[in-house]
Amino acid sequence: MSAALEVRDVSKHFQGVKAVNGVSLAVDQGALHSIIGPNGAGKTTLFNCITGEYAPTAGEVSFEGKRISGRRPYQLPAFGVSRSFQRTSIFSNLTVAENVWVSAFRKHAGKRIEVFRGADSHPEVHATIEQTLGEVGLARYASQPATALAHGDQRLLDFAIALAPKPRLLLLDEPTAGLSRADTQRVVQLIEELKGRYTIVLIEHKMDVVMRISDRITVMYFGEILAEGTPDEIRANAKVREAYLGRRA
Amino acid sequence: MARLFNLPTLLVIIALGIGLPFIQRPVVAAEVLTLGIAAVATNVLLGYTGMLSFGQAMFFGFGAYCAGILATKYGVSAFAAIPAAVFATAVLALLVGLVCVRRSGLYFIMITFAFNQMLYFLAYSWTTMTGGEDGLPGVRRPALIADQWSFYIFTAVLFLLSLVVIKRFVDSPAGRILQAIRDNPARAAATGHDVGRYKLIAFVVAGLFTGLAGAIFAFVFEIVPIDRIHWLFSGDIVFMTLIGGSGSFIGPVIGAAFYTWLQETVSHYWDRWPMVLGVVLALVVLFFRTGIAGMVVTLTRGLRRRTFVAKKLEARQ
Amino acid sequence: MSILIASQVLNGLATGMLYALVGVGLTLVLGMLNIPNFAHGVLYAFGAYFAHSIIKLSGSFYLALLAAPLLVVVMGFVIESQGIRRLYTAHHDYQLLFLFALALILQETIILVWGPVGFSVLPPKLLAGTVNLGFVIYPAYRLALIVVTILVTVALWLFLSRTNVGAIVRAGMENREMVAVLGTDINRVFLWTFGLGAYLAGLAGALATPILGLTPTMGGDMLPISFVIVVIAGLGSILGAIASGILIGIAQSLTSTWWPEASNIAIYALMGLVIVLRPQGLFGTR
Repeated sequence: MSAALEVRDVSKHFQGVKAVNGVSLAVDQGALHSIIGPNGAGKTTLFNCITGEYAPTAGEVSFEGKRISGRRPYQLPAFGVSRSFQRTSIFSNLTVAENVWVSAFRKHAGKRIEVFRGADSHPEVHATIEQTLGEVGLARYASQPATALAHGDQRLLDFAIALAPKPRLLLLDEPTAGLSRADTQRVVQLIEELKGRYTIVLIEHKMDVVMRISDRITVMYFGEILAEGTPDEIRANAKVREAYLGRRA
Repeated sequence: MARLFNLPTLLVIIALGIGLPFIQRPVVAAEVLTLGIAAVATNVLLGYTGMLSFGQAMFFGFGAYCAGILATKYGVSAFAAIPAAVFATAVLALLVGLVCVRRSGLYFIMITFAFNQMLYFLAYSWTTMTGGEDGLPGVRRPALIADQWSFYIFTAVLFLLSLVVIKRFVDSPAGRILQAIRDNPARAAATGHDVGRYKLIAFVVAGLFTGLAGAIFAFVFEIVPIDRIHWLFSGDIVFMTLIGGSGSFIGPVIGAAFYTWLQETVSHYWDRWPMVLGVVLALVVLFFRTGIAGMVVTLTRGLRRRTFVAKKLEARQ
Repeated sequence: MSILIASQVLNGLATGMLYALVGVGLTLVLGMLNIPNFAHGVLYAFGAYFAHSIIKLSGSFYLALLAAPLLVVVMGFVIESQGIRRLYTAHHDYQLLFLFALALILQETIILVWGPVGFSVLPPKLLAGTVNLGFVIYPAYRLALIVVTILVTVALWLFLSRTNVGAIVRAGMENREMVAVLGTDINRVFLWTFGLGAYLAGLAGALATPILGLTPTMGGDMLPISFVIVVIAGLGSILGAIASGILIGIAQSLTSTWWPEASNIAIYALMGLVIVLRPQGLFGTR
C-alpha cells in the first residue's frame, strides 16, 4: 500500500546553505506523523516545501499520487491539503463565522468567482461552518469579531479555517506554540479527535505532546533525517538523545 | 433594497440625493454625486481590499476625456459616450492592473502613481485631442437632460445604480474574499484563493466606476479640466474616501460631500485652500482614522454588524 | 549633428545627476520606511527656495549651496521626529498619507511665503560662461554641476560602504527590526537616514536653480520622476538609483531634441518597459 503523502529526496538550498538535504518520508493515510528537531534543523523549511511557500531545489512531494511540490500555496487546497499557522493567522476584521466561511466557501465554489449572490446565501456553506465551529467548540462565538476571542480560542479558529474544507491532509505548524497549559490541552484534545479521520503532519517542539499523539516521528538535524520511527523507538534512540541533549546525556 | 442598504446608509443616500440640489446649485450637487461614485469605487480598493492607490485620477480623467472627446469631436450623445467611456476605462484598468496588481504595496503605489502622471502628460501634450493645459470645453449635454434639474436627476439615477451594483459586489462572495485578502493575504491564499486575480478584479471594478464618474463629470460643467487627471486629484479622491470613512460603504460619499463643501467654502476666502485640505487630512490620519462615518458609529454605538449565518447559529445556542 | 548629440547627452547627464541625487535620497528613506516618501519632492523644492532666498540676502551662490540643504535637513529632522515617528505603530498607509498631507501643506507654504509666480536664478559669475571641451563648447555651470554631483555621489558611496555608520544605515534599510534588536538606537538611525535623504533632495534643489528655475510646483513635478527612478532601478539599490537617474536624464534630453512633446512621456514609457521586461528593476535584488 503506497503512502498518502510522499516526500521523495527533497532538498532546499539557499545560496549555498543547505537548509534541507535529501529528506524522504512517507505518511500513511489517517496517520499522524510528527517532525521534530532542534532549532535550525530544517523542519520549517521542509514544511514550507510541502505547503508551497518554497519550491524544492531537488526532489518532489506528492499526495495521493499527485505532485504538490513546486505549486503556489493557493493551489494546494484543490488537492485536499490544508494548513494551519504557527503564529495564529486569522482575518481580524471578520467575524468568527466569516473567518471559517473563507475556506468553506472555497471548497464549495471551487475556482469559481462569484460576484452577484450574497456571501451568506449558500446553505451548504452555512452548514459546513456550523459543523466546523461545533467541532472546535467555538459555535457560540459565531457572530463575534474574531479579535474578540481569547488567545487560545483564536488558535482554535485558525484550525477551524483549516478544517472547514474537509481536507484529506492536514499540515499543522507548531499547533501549540505560545499556548498556555490549558489551551495546549484543548488543542491536543482536538488533534486526537481528528486522528484517523485525517492524515496529519505536524511540527512540534513540546516533547510530551509529540510522544503522546504521534503514530510516527521523524527527527531532523542540520537539514537531514537523524532518525525515524514510532515514539518508543525514538525515545530509545541514542543519537536523538545526543542531538537534543549533547554528548553523554 | 432594504436588505442591500442598512437604514443609516439609506438615510444618507436619500438625504444627500434629495437635499443636495437644494443646498447647492444642482450642477454642484451633480458634481458631488460623481465624486461620490468615484470615492465609493476607490474604497473598493482601499477599504475593502486594503490597496492604497494614488492613481485613481487616471481613470476619472480618462473616462472624462473619452466621453468629452466623443461628444465634442465626434458628435456622440452623452447616452452613448458615457457607456463607451466606461468600457474604454475598464480596458485601461485591466491593462494597468495586469502590470501592477501583483506587486507589493510599495511598487503598486509608485507604479499607479507614475502611470497616472504619464496619462497627465499625454493629455497635456496631445492638445489637438484634449485641449492640453486649457482642458476640453464644449462638452454639450443632450437636449433631453440639458437643463440643470433634469441633468441632476440623470446623475442621481446613475449614482444610485452605481451604488447598488457596487454594494452587491462587496456583499458578494468575491467582496468578502477581498476583505479577507485585506486582513491576511497569506492566509487567504493558503485557503485556496488566487489573491492576484481577486485584486485585479477589485482594481478593474474600482477603475471602471471611477471612469463612469469621470464620464458623467465631463457633462456637469461641460468641460474636462486637465487637473482632474493629475496625481494631486488622485490624492483628493483618497482624501474623500478616508475622511468620509473607509470602513463603511457610504462613508466615502459623505467624504465627497465634505470635500466639495470645504472647497466651495474655503476657496471663497482663501486661495490657499489646499493647505486646509492637507491639515484636515493630517488630523484625520493622526486622530480620526475611521473618518466621519466611523465617528458617527462610535457616537451612536450599538451598531454591531451581524451576519445571517451568525444569527442562525446563535439562535440555536 | 554629433555636436548636438554630444551637448544633449551632457545636458542629460547634468539633469540626470540631479535626478540621481533625488533618487538616492528617496531610496534611502524607502528602505527605511517601506513607503514612498510623498514629501520628498517638496523637500527638493524647499532646497531650491531656501537657496534663492539666501542668494538674495547674501549675494553668494556658494553660501546658498552650503546652507540651503542644511536647512532642509532640519526640516527633515522635524518631520521625522515629530510626525512620522508618531505613526510607526500604525499601518504603513497612514504614514504615507501623512507625508502626502505634509506635501500639500508645504507646497502651499511655498506659495504663501514666496508667492505663486516662479523665479529664475543666475549661475555664479565664475561659472557663468562656457568651456571649450574640444568636441563641444559647453556651459560652465552645467559642467561644474556634473563634477560636483559626481563627487557627492562618490562621497556618499564611500560613506555607505566603508564606514560603520554607513553600514548601520544600509542594514536599517534592509531590516529595521534586526537593527533595533542588535542594540542600536533605531530612532537615531531613522532620524539621520531621513536627514540624509532630505539633504540630498535639498542639495539637488539648490543645484538645480540655475538650470531649471523655481516654481511652487517643482516638488510635485519631481516626485513622479523620483518614483520612476526607483522603479527602474529596483528597490534598495543605491547604485541603481544613480544609474537610472542618469539614464532617465539622458533619455529625456535626447527625446526632447527630436520629439519634444514626448520627452515627458518617454520616462514613463521607459518605466513601463522595465516593469514588463524586468520587474525587479534593472539592479533590483528584492
